[in-house]
Amino acid sequence: MPNQRIDLPQGTLDLLILKTLALEPQHGWAISERIQQISSDVLRVQQGSLYPALHRLERRGWIKAKWGASENNRRAKYYELTRSGCRQLEAEESDWRRLTAAVGQVLSIAD
Amino acid sequence: MISDLLYRLRALFRRRSVESELDAELRAHFHRQVEKFVKSGLPLEEAKRRARLEFGGFDQVKEECRDARGVNLIETTIQDLRYGLRMLRKSPGFAAVAVVTLALGIGANTAIFSVVNAVLLRPLPYPNADRLVVVGERWMGGGGDLAPPDYLDIAAENRAFEQMAAYKSWNFNLSAGPRPERVTGAVITTNTFSLLGVDPVLGRGFLQGDGGPGGERTVVLGYTLWQARFGARPDVVGEKISLNDEPYTVVGVMPRWFDFPDGAQLWVPPRFAVPEHPLRLDVDPATMTGSHYFDSIGRLRAGVSVAEARADVDRVIRHIAEARPDSEATNGAWIETLHQVQVGDIRSALLVLLAAVGLVLLIACANVANLLLTRGAGRRKEMAIRSTLGAGRAAIARQLFTESLLLAAAGGGLGILLASWGTVPLAGLIPEDLRNMVQPGVDGRVLAFTALASLLGAIFFGLTPALQGARFAPMEALKETGRSSAPGRHRVQRALVVAESALAVVLLVGAGLLVKSFLRLMQVNAGFDPTRLVTLKLSLPAARYPDKASQNLFVRQVLDHVETLPGVESASVTTRLPLGGGESHRGIQIEGRPSRPGEDLDTFYAVVAPDYFRTLGIPLLRGRDFSDHDDANSLRVVIINNSMARTFWPGEDPVGKRISMDDKPLEIVGVVGDTHQRDLTGPVEPMTYAVYAQEPWPFLTVAIRAAGSPASLMTEAERAVHAVDKDEPVFDVQTMSEVVEASVSPRRFYMLLLGIFALVALSLAAVGLFGVISFGVVQRTREIGIRLALGAQRSAVLRTVVGEGMRLTFLGLAVGLGAAVALTRLMGSLLYSVRPADPETFMAVSVLLTAVAGLASYIPARRATKVDPMVALRHE
Repeated sequence: MPNQRIDLPQGTLDLLILKTLALEPQHGWAISERIQQISSDVLRVQQGSLYPALHRLERRGWIKAKWGASENNRRAKYYELTRSGCRQLEAEESDWRRLTAAVGQVLSIAD
Repeated sequence: MISDLLYRLRALFRRRSVESELDAELRAHFHRQVEKFVKSGLPLEEAKRRARLEFGGFDQVKEECRDARGVNLIETTIQDLRYGLRMLRKSPGFAAVAVVTLALGIGANTAIFSVVNAVLLRPLPYPNADRLVVVGERWMGGGGDLAPPDYLDIAAENRAFEQMAAYKSWNFNLSAGPRPERVTGAVITTNTFSLLGVDPVLGRGFLQGDGGPGGERTVVLGYTLWQARFGARPDVVGEKISLNDEPYTVVGVMPRWFDFPDGAQLWVPPRFAVPEHPLRLDVDPATMTGSHYFDSIGRLRAGVSVAEARADVDRVIRHIAEARPDSEATNGAWIETLHQVQVGDIRSALLVLLAAVGLVLLIACANVANLLLTRGAGRRKEMAIRSTLGAGRAAIARQLFTESLLLAAAGGGLGILLASWGTVPLAGLIPEDLRNMVQPGVDGRVLAFTALASLLGAIFFGLTPALQGARFAPMEALKETGRSSAPGRHRVQRALVVAESALAVVLLVGAGLLVKSFLRLMQVNAGFDPTRLVTLKLSLPAARYPDKASQNLFVRQVLDHVETLPGVESASVTTRLPLGGGESHRGIQIEGRPSRPGEDLDTFYAVVAPDYFRTLGIPLLRGRDFSDHDDANSLRVVIINNSMARTFWPGEDPVGKRISMDDKPLEIVGVVGDTHQRDLTGPVEPMTYAVYAQEPWPFLTVAIRAAGSPASLMTEAERAVHAVDKDEPVFDVQTMSEVVEASVSPRRFYMLLLGIFALVALSLAAVGLFGVISFGVVQRTREIGIRLALGAQRSAVLRTVVGEGMRLTFLGLAVGLGAAVALTRLMGSLLYSVRPADPETFMAVSVLLTAVAGLASYIPARRATKVDPMVALRHE
């Protein structure tokens, strides 16, 4: 299984975090679990990159954090998308789609 | 952008709570992960181990989060600063040398820049000063004064100016105390103050009706005069004072800085629409079509450029020429900004000095860079330890560069202090017209300049050592037992020494050219003998000396008195002293020589009494001197100078020939030697002398040749004048040597400044070379010891070491001479009878640099030969 893991480039991690948070506000652990789950264990987010990414996104004003009670009533820091984060997500998503489509096209020709 | 900054600041100032939040967050994450593993069936201990493994280092994650938050940049800078300060405190000697070197370089730059700023960059202290222009007509390649009728027509018909004003500098005899005093003032049209936009600090300026024939005469006082002669009394307004023996009423006092034009300290309105003619006070100048004696300025309308104003005035002049064929402004308009006219020739000199002092700073920076590199060699272990403890290369380079910034900041701060002293003697660089108006102080722009110079300096001297310091393998450095060389560092140091000597060569060549120019200038034969010659000036007020007869009588009596003084060889008067400043030209016609169309024959003109040529030591080449028989009743006579004789009567004897001036025929009775009239550097121009008894003039200089020392004569001569007229002020009493000296003093000043810069540059370069060679010797002690032990001759060691120094020097010399050829061309206007690529100067500089560099490398080389092989082998 570890062999199938793919290391994420920084920009892609940001996109995944934003997308995850677009569904609902989450705390850090849940974000990494969610990404792992949805990607069928292919994508794994290391804590070492997750938290710096969260801080970076917060600094840019795309997400904001507040403390709340978690599912089992423990205090947890929840991150949610801001308005500019929504716009950023839309932009990055469409960029990503165009990029993958283009890369796919090139690769199919190369075969 | 702002939210980003706020976020960073919050993160910085609420660091503790942000940190504890992060801690709690990471801990929670960790626990959840452990729980997850436990749920999947792992025992607790194994679950914790797996989670920890996955998590990586807690502290590393935190550090990365800090980076992401953007706190680190600020925090580490503070850390770097603290550490840097500690390191500099630990080596105070190094820090002191570096800071003082930088302070000298930056201080000199700041001082010169503050003058450049005050003179060239800051506007004149008038409102909208960029719209003030001097208006004249094109004449002899420059600007000439407008004749009164032309001025009046241009003032009336132009569309370029809001208004125009005319002014004439004028000396006033002020009798308001025990001794008469001569005060520099001006007759100005009543709108001059409002055109300039300057209001009096007391009372009022002039009103339209002030002046005018028959009206009450009014005067506005200068601040300095008001303080010195009127005790700064506010009730001086309304007081009656006597100027040139006429009553005037004081109506106002101008601000302290205001001394326009030419240092004026009092102003009176003209009797007519323009200032009256100095000799014909009661004649309306509007009729004088051929007199050019006052200056005019204009204030451009908003949005009108100087070029547009020129075109507009040209249009008016064409119009005038059609309407009035006697107009003389046929060459067209000459218009320049007032600022440019008052700054004059100083611009290029200032820029050369600024460039020179910039080179000095570069050399100072190179020296500090060398110091840092040498010091870096001793700090390799420190860096290695820091590096093994986890500091990245960037962090080390940043740390080292921060130290350089600290040095530069300290140097800049000290430099500003030095500069604030330096501006006092440098005030001599400011053109006289501007001296009261501009103060070369430290303002925002100067501060910005200093900050920029310091920062650029830090980049220049700090960047290479910082990068060098970070570029090495830590393990090797730790293994090294002591100081040994890193080849890269050494190459950089050598390159710096080469650059330093090259820069020093450029400065030395520049200074050498100025010195040679000055020596050449001192050898110029001025055409007269300035030793033992006393001069004093008089200006005869029209009220007491209204006509030629009374002026002539006064001069005869004064000369009679002066000639009987003990220790006087001879005495005479002139209306124009050589090198004394001012212009005096007269148009002439030559009898029997048809005037060519478009030709303006024009000569320098002075009126002198008999014995003038003997007194000044000007040789009489042909004919005779003026005598007492040349008076108002006899034939009009003139004497011409040699260059006029050669120009108009080549190969002929001009004595007995006739010329005419203002249609009055004049017979040439003698030819005298050439004298430099305007300055020592320019060519000698044709000159005509008339005799005082036939052409009296109220403004004159008495020249007295002393048998012995002229100093004692100065007060006695003044007393002799007062014996004739006790109310006649005597001014500018000075020896002719002082007059000559004053005419060359700006050049002497540039030469001294550039000379000082060049010597500083040379010593800095020598110190740099000395440092690098010494350092090389210390590093190679072991090698030298081995060579000596193997039987090498000490002289061979000496040769090797000195040879290395000389190799660097010759390289620098070659580069420097090449650069000098290119750069000294820019200072052509400062040179006199020396070409920018003067081989003698280049040779002298090469010899000087080689000698100094030889000495700087010989001292460490001597030390190398003293190495004891046994000690050297144990060295380290």
